[in-house]
Amino acid sequence: MPDNRELIKARLGKLGLGARREEEILRELSEHLADHAAALEASGVAPDAAAREALDTVSNWPEFRNEIQSAETGETNMNYRTKVLWLPALCALTLSNGLLAISQIFGPRTHFSWLNPYIDLRPFYMFLVPWLISQPVVGAVAAYWSRRAGGKVRHQLLSALAPAIALLGVFVLILPFSIMLDKRVANHIRLSAFLLMTVIWVLLPALPLLIGAAPFLRKPQAQS
Amino acid sequence: MIGIDTKIKRGSGELAILALLDHEPLHGYEISKRIAQQTGGVLQFNLASLYPLLYRMEKRGWVKGKWEEAQNGRKRRYYHLTRNGKKQLAPLREEWGMFFQALHRIAGVAHAG
Repeated sequence: MPDNRELIKARLGKLGLGARREEEILRELSEHLADHAAALEASGVAPDAAAREALDTVSNWPEFRNEIQSAETGETNMNYRTKVLWLPALCALTLSNGLLAISQIFGPRTHFSWLNPYIDLRPFYMFLVPWLISQPVVGAVAAYWSRRAGGKVRHQLLSALAPAIALLGVFVLILPFSIMLDKRVANHIRLSAFLLMTVIWVLLPALPLLIGAAPFLRKPQAQS
Repeated sequence: MIGIDTKIKRGSGELAILALLDHEPLHGYEISKRIAQQTGGVLQFNLASLYPLLYRMEKRGWVKGKWEEAQNGRKRRYYHLTRNGKKQLAPLREEWGMFFQALHRIAGVAHAG
């Protein structure tokens, strides 16, 4: 039977509980998996497949590690989704908006409006383009953070795209709220300008965010 | 097989483990095997769901793990029910009994106990 202790260690990573206790836990988990694999073998599964199947009963090793740490230290671990999605997403949102604020403060003063069909977009592009160029960094940071925390690829992707998703939410809410609050305003919103703004603020940033995140979109790391 | 919600599983897992260890000390794999057998597979604990629960119970002083030689000659960590764990068993049984009675009254859910 293959020694699965190293395989478990590689998946669990460091528990931060002290060498002796970690060794004891590894040994115990290893014995459990060996028993499970032996039972599978007894039912006719090939040894390698049995060892793999036993190991695969744990679908999320980083979460398992968090659970063990929480049980051992008595501390309540941060909710898994908070760690792998909400925190990196919040970081991306803050970073993206911070960079946008810098572009707006130090770039040309401008405004946009969807009431005016003849918007002069030139100054708008002047701060938008530097901001868009900075967005791959935001996507990369969020995706890497999420992956380090043990997030799955979908968590990494959603974290990286958080700034664009948040802006999409804002845009989607603007029209219905405008209609509900003041029909005169809603009647003056030009659909073409609204759609253009949605593309500029949602789809355009989504692309560099995705480009930045792409190299980091991988299955979660075992070690932290 | 009907899937059991994780929170219910955790809560009921403590009672199941204490009840099993009340008869004899068992190691982790044997605990998970017996729970699956005795519940007809409705409650199932794998590595990831069982050990955090056992370690939490050990921290609370309900069970105590000791390395002992198993029948096959390998050393295994056997979990023993402590005095504190024994004290927990009766109120937990009562709590779950009341829970199922309440469910039975409201939704016609029968319980074995």
